[in-house]
Amino acid sequence: MRGRGVLLLLIGLLIGLAAGLYYSWVVNPVEYVDSAPSSLRQNFKDDYLALIASAYAHTGDLQRTRARLASLQLDDPASALSRLAQSRLAEGRPESEVLALAQLAAVLGQRPVPGLATGASPGTATPIAPTPSPTASPTATRTPTPMPTATPGAPYTLLDQEEVCDIRLGEAQMQVLALDAAGEGVPGVELFVIWDAGQDRFYTGLKPELGPGYADFTMLPGVTYTLQLSSGDRPVAGLMAPECFDDDGNSFPGSWRLIFQQPPQP
Amino acid sequence: MRSSSRLLIGLFIGLLLGVLYGWVIRPVEYIDTAPDTLREDYYSEYVLMAAEAYSADGDLDLARVRLAALGPRPPVNIVVSAIDYGLEHGYSQLDLETLNRLVVDLRAVPPSAEIDTP
Repeated sequence: MRGRGVLLLLIGLLIGLAAGLYYSWVVNPVEYVDSAPSSLRQNFKDDYLALIASAYAHTGDLQRTRARLASLQLDDPASALSRLAQSRLAEGRPESEVLALAQLAAVLGQRPVPGLATGASPGTATPIAPTPSPTASPTATRTPTPMPTATPGAPYTLLDQEEVCDIRLGEAQMQVLALDAAGEGVPGVELFVIWDAGQDRFYTGLKPELGPGYADFTMLPGVTYTLQLSSGDRPVAGLMAPECFDDDGNSFPGSWRLIFQQPPQP
Repeated sequence: MRSSSRLLIGLFIGLLLGVLYGWVIRPVEYIDTAPDTLREDYYSEYVLMAAEAYSADGDLDLARVRLAALGPRPPVNIVVSAIDYGLEHGYSQLDLETLNRLVVDLRAVPPSAEIDTP
C-alpha cells in the first residue's frame, strides 16, 4: 500500500514536471523584449556596427562611439570594423558606409606600420584592441572631436618605390602607404588600380593593424598595373610583380611598396 | 493519505519544479534577436545613429532601410518616438535637432522605391 502511494506521488511529479516545462517553454516562455545589441543576430550586428561607424562620421565623438561599440561586446572592434569594411566594399555597399567603417577602424587601431617598416607579412601582424568603454549604456551627451580624414590640399606625391621580396606574403602585393605632411598615416585615401582587363578601387585604413595609412592590393603575376591616388598628382605606371628568389634559388612573385606623402603646406 | 491526494501533491511539486527549471534554471534563450526587440534606450540610440548617419551621408533611402529594421511602423513614427524618448531622458539639443532633421526630410520626401528590410 505504501509502495503504491510513492508510485502515485512520482507519477504526479512527472506529469506536473512535464506540464510545468510545457507551460514555461511553450505556452508562456521568458520573453526577451528588452534585448541588448550584443544579442542581435550576426547580420543585424553588422548593420549596427556600420551604423555606429556612419554616425561617427557625422559626430566625430569617439567617447560615445566607444560606448556604442561596447554594447556589442566585440572582442576586437577595430578588426571587426576592418573586416566589415572589406566585405561591404566587395558587396558594393554605399561608399560612404565603407569609408566610415574604414576610418573608424583606423582610428581605433592606430599604431605604427610594422609591415611596411620591416617587410613582415600582414597576416602576422597583431591587432591592437581599443580601450573598452567603461559603460555600455547609451549616452546623450556629445564632445565633438576632429574626424581623421584624408587631408585636403596638396596632392600626394610618390616619395618612395621599392621592390619587396618577402616569401611570407604568399602573394604579389601592391603595398601603399599614404602619409600626410607630418608623416602620419592617412586613412580613407581612395586608390584606383587599372590594368589591361579591368580596374579596381581600394582605400587606405582597411587594415588598421598595419597602420591607418596602409592599403594593399593583390597583383597577378605577368599583369602590368597603373596606380592612381584620387588625390595624387600623377599615376604610377608599369607596376608588374617583380621576380624574386628564395634561399634555394626558386623564383616567386615579389611585391611593390609605394609610399606617398603630401608635401608640407607653404 | 488518499491516493488522489498523493497524486495531486506530486503534480503540484512537479509543476513547480518544471516552471522553476523552464523560467529560471534553463529559460528559452534568444540569442539571434532583431533590432525591434532592443531595449528602449538602445532602440532610441539606434534611431539617433540612423539620424546621425543620415546627416553624414544625406542618403534618405538608406536611412529608411536602417529604420525598417526597427519594425513595421512608419519610419516617421519611429523617429518621433525616439524624439519623445530623447525629450524625456535629456538628450542634448544637438541630438534632438539631428532627429528632427530626419523627421522633416522623411515627411518631405517620399520613398524613391520599395525598400527591402535588411
